[in-house]
Amino acid sequence: MMWQDYQLDNTTLKANEVIRLWGADKGVIEIGKDTLAIPIRLGDQRRGYIFHGHGKLILDTIVETEEGAIGKPVEKEINEPFLMLGDTEKVQKRLTTTSKEDLTKMGYENQQEFVAKAEDLYHRFFERGRTFRHRRSGEDHGLVFAFQNKASKLDILVVKGSKLVYKATGIVFVANENKVVLKSPKEVVLSRSGKLFVIKT
Amino acid sequence: MKLRMVKIKLSEDLKEEMKKLREEIESLKEKLREATEEKLRRGRGIYIDIGNRVHDYVEDVMEGVAEGIHGELEKSIFIGPRGVRIFRRKGEPYEREDEVEVSFPRVAEVMSALGQEHRLRILNELMSGGKYINELQEKLSEITASTLSSHLKVLEDAGLVVQEKVRGRYLITMPGRTAYKMARRVTRFLERRNQE
Repeated sequence: MMWQDYQLDNTTLKANEVIRLWGADKGVIEIGKDTLAIPIRLGDQRRGYIFHGHGKLILDTIVETEEGAIGKPVEKEINEPFLMLGDTEKVQKRLTTTSKEDLTKMGYENQQEFVAKAEDLYHRFFERGRTFRHRRSGEDHGLVFAFQNKASKLDILVVKGSKLVYKATGIVFVANENKVVLKSPKEVVLSRSGKLFVIKT
Repeated sequence: MKLRMVKIKLSEDLKEEMKKLREEIESLKEKLREATEEKLRRGRGIYIDIGNRVHDYVEDVMEGVAEGIHGELEKSIFIGPRGVRIFRRKGEPYEREDEVEVSFPRVAEVMSALGQEHRLRILNELMSGGKYINELQEKLSEITASTLSSHLKVLEDAGLVVQEKVRGRYLITMPGRTAYKMARRVTRFLERRNQE
């Protein structure tokens, strides 16, 4: 069996329009026009990006039950670099080359500064043993996002079809077909096939 | 004595449910393992994709939570179709609901949110499931769109309703359901008293 590692490219790109990186019933991730991007390669193929610009994350981390809804939506502006792994085909077409002006807008003096910041995130993500690998076929493999939070830790979102895992400070939200789990500092809520458990912690 | 028997029965039910849940997770994991091995046997190149890892991660978290539930079982709250049951460990101090500190402004905010006919009717509509604003508008045609929005805002601020940010549906929250039921019960009680 052959394993390949992800590598950070040294090309700097930017979004030429608003791009929806992921959208489903439960959430949306978008990046704004002029968001900077550095591709992440797996062999000779692009398998992800590190973005830095103005974007937003919306996640409805709500458990709907017969006893009423539990939880509230997560709505965050993404102004720090973040990582995305997964199908990049749609994104790739909407990225163009950058100029010095584009980098300056995001507060970088030159390309190396942005690359250094992207490398820092890249290493923090991969150093923790996350060795994501891809099949070569064109199947949907899902997407992985890693956002830097205020505590300088990584909030992770993994999505594939109707499956979703979001782990951030103070919250874990898992949606998997007919099961939903919401863990907050105050309680753990488990909903499965219409049955509901709530544990006060 | 009767209450104690109910508690034990429900506790056993929960334990049984958790046992089934764990068995199901184990069975799913076994199936997944078999499927992965089968794929590897076919030898079509690079395997173990992100999809499988998502599945593993989801199952791991589900299992972790299930374990947590089992461990915390005796001091958990079980909410089922028949209502809320509070479990606690033997000897653990019991916090009476009327001893929990609630500020008067907060009480006033919740009661004020409930104290309006249209808002009660909105809650009543949401009792049967989440609704989009146009569905609510259809049901409450005598209210203008802007009034409906401001009522929903009051209910949201009081924590009785939550709005999904992606689909935009409005959902009644768990406290919202309890508050709505309580308002109706109190009114029914007062009406009966007045008739006596």
